[in-house]
Amino acid sequence: MEGWALTLVQVAISGVLLGAVYALLAIGLNLIFGVMRIINIAHGDLLMLGAYATFWLFTLWGVNPLLALVAVSPGMFLLGVALQRVLVDRVVGQPLLSSLLLTFGLSSLLTGLALNLWTANYRSVPAFSGSLVVGGVAVSIPRLIAFSVALAITAAVYLFLTRAKLGKAVRATAQNAEVALVCGIDVARIRLLVFGLGTALAAAAGALLAVIYTIYPEMGRAFLMKAFAIIVLGGLGSFQGAFLGALALGVAEAFAGYIWNTQIAEAVAYVVFIGVLLVRPGGLFGTSE
Amino acid sequence: MAGRKGQTRREFLQLMAGIGSAAVWVACSGSAVQTGRTGASAPAPASQATPASAPSAGGAPSGPPIKIGASVSVTGSNGRTGLYQQEAYQLWERQVNARGGLLGRPVQFIIRDDQSDASTGQRLYEQLITDDQVDLILGPYSSQVTQAVANVAEKYRYPLLSAGASASEIWSHGDRRYTFGVYSIAEMYFTGVLEIAQRAGYRTVAIVSEDTLFPKSTAQGAAKLAREKGLQVVLEEQYPARVSDVSSLIQKVKASGAEVLVGGSYLPDALLITRQAKDLDYSPKLMAFSVGAAMPDFGEALGKDADYVFGPSMWEPELTTPGNQEFVREYIAMHGREPDYHSATGYSACQVLEAAVKAVGSLDRERIRDWLASAELETVLPGKYKVDATGMQVGHEVLTIQWQNGSKVLVWPPKYAAPGATYKLPTPPWSQRA
Repeated sequence: MEGWALTLVQVAISGVLLGAVYALLAIGLNLIFGVMRIINIAHGDLLMLGAYATFWLFTLWGVNPLLALVAVSPGMFLLGVALQRVLVDRVVGQPLLSSLLLTFGLSSLLTGLALNLWTANYRSVPAFSGSLVVGGVAVSIPRLIAFSVALAITAAVYLFLTRAKLGKAVRATAQNAEVALVCGIDVARIRLLVFGLGTALAAAAGALLAVIYTIYPEMGRAFLMKAFAIIVLGGLGSFQGAFLGALALGVAEAFAGYIWNTQIAEAVAYVVFIGVLLVRPGGLFGTSE
Repeated sequence: MAGRKGQTRREFLQLMAGIGSAAVWVACSGSAVQTGRTGASAPAPASQATPASAPSAGGAPSGPPIKIGASVSVTGSNGRTGLYQQEAYQLWERQVNARGGLLGRPVQFIIRDDQSDASTGQRLYEQLITDDQVDLILGPYSSQVTQAVANVAEKYRYPLLSAGASASEIWSHGDRRYTFGVYSIAEMYFTGVLEIAQRAGYRTVAIVSEDTLFPKSTAQGAAKLAREKGLQVVLEEQYPARVSDVSSLIQKVKASGAEVLVGGSYLPDALLITRQAKDLDYSPKLMAFSVGAAMPDFGEALGKDADYVFGPSMWEPELTTPGNQEFVREYIAMHGREPDYHSATGYSACQVLEAAVKAVGSLDRERIRDWLASAELETVLPGKYKVDATGMQVGHEVLTIQWQNGSKVLVWPPKYAAPGATYKLPTPPWSQRA
């Protein structure tokens, strides 16, 4: 293959690998919105908590991030359930502004706590390094590992939502909570489950990002924006939309960084967000699922 | 059916309004958290060394303490580096008090944390001067913060020895009378590296940098030096200060085929670039970073991956400049780790300030300023302290180090390098380095 073509392939692969991790974040946000009609502004900060948990497990006790993931996700699931029960449930069904304010407050609290406890210094989890060279294309090993794990988790969630009875109950609640209630689904329980699941997914994304990137307490904001852009691009409520939208954003950022520069790459999520709302507000896969 | 659809659309629009306002909030609140929690920083331990140890030449200092104020970046993006500077200030404070203080009076440092933020630093110095009424001040870390603090120094007419900054913009206006550099300006950082590149016969250079004051200055200087030496600059690009991912940039550099990669960076991005270069199997023949590469932290964080990387250094522990070996010894005894050049520049500033106060014989800030503007003296740094008419440092000499087998080796200029020590080139590809 020509040199420049090889480079393009390499950039695209880089983007796709990253996109799968974004997908975890977006899918979680999507589920929470779908079931509770709540915009979770603290979502990015939950990702940040997952990242730091992984960092501390690695730094203090040398725990491999993949193993840490196994411990961190359930832990964060429980945290999510607790948050939903104690805080978020109060604003379900309330005017939109209430949930925005609540989750914004939660976000500021989490960011502030992190800044205070762990300082603003940058951290990273350099557990994996190196590249896999296949046919002239260098694939980053940390990214490849993060991609594989993210893909596996996404597949598991998909199977859960489509095959498991509880998963179908979640989808039913997302379609119409009142009818689901009438059908005998314990909607309150579903809400607990979904917020917990969304939080666990965000934390998993954070754990995987800690392996690829550097992390810091305010990182939640930037990633939240990406998650918003993704679910708007993919279409609110659509699982496939969230996944494909995430890959698309990853690739778009990679190319923007290559063709122009890294500053432009950081703006891509915002551009996508505004662009999609102007041109095709329903997103790629339309609305309700 | 129509009724149901209408409800969904209204919901949808409400949601869009919600997301829209949330997005605006997200975009606007970027730095709010960072600068918001300012005033809470506690005054750093202003330790006053007890002169109870062996009586030294000046006898025990007595009388009201001479207060010296400063802020350093203890946390934030430059936290690791700022800490070295603070430790140097603390060491000198202890030593000068053990020697009998300044003008027979004890010296007391008041050090605050500016969190690597320029506006915080500016505010802290104003407080130090107006509220704490310090007699003298010493500089903060990073050119960005120093640039803001220099305005305060000029306004209140306090001589400022810039112990942790070297961007030429600080002096290029030519109208600052109270700000004095202590080590070489950023533009000269890559002198040694590019000299080595030229001697090795490399022809192409890629220059990347963070888009803040100091890194940009080192990059611009590198570009100019490269062209002067007949090298071709094939890529010049910047990345944002809080960058998490430079993989697209690295792929661009790789595609450019540049033999030399010069990075205007601080420590976090130097580490990031090196790591992601390895992950993308990119290994230029020569790689150098302006800050970070010469810090012990670089080798600690990367292990063997740090090998072959070059970096400019303002100072190295093995130098035999006046007071240097003693400085290193006592620093290790006090702080439990080796000083890095940021400690040395901080310490050098203290040495110059001490000499100034002794020469002038008082705390008269105007006379101290005049003395600083015309003095020449040797400190622990290579070369000597000497500033030009704008206050910019011109007597200092830049060193270049290279990581070899897990340790830093001083390789340039030859007169400071250990006998037999020299640079190793070219850098082998990653696959041959496992």
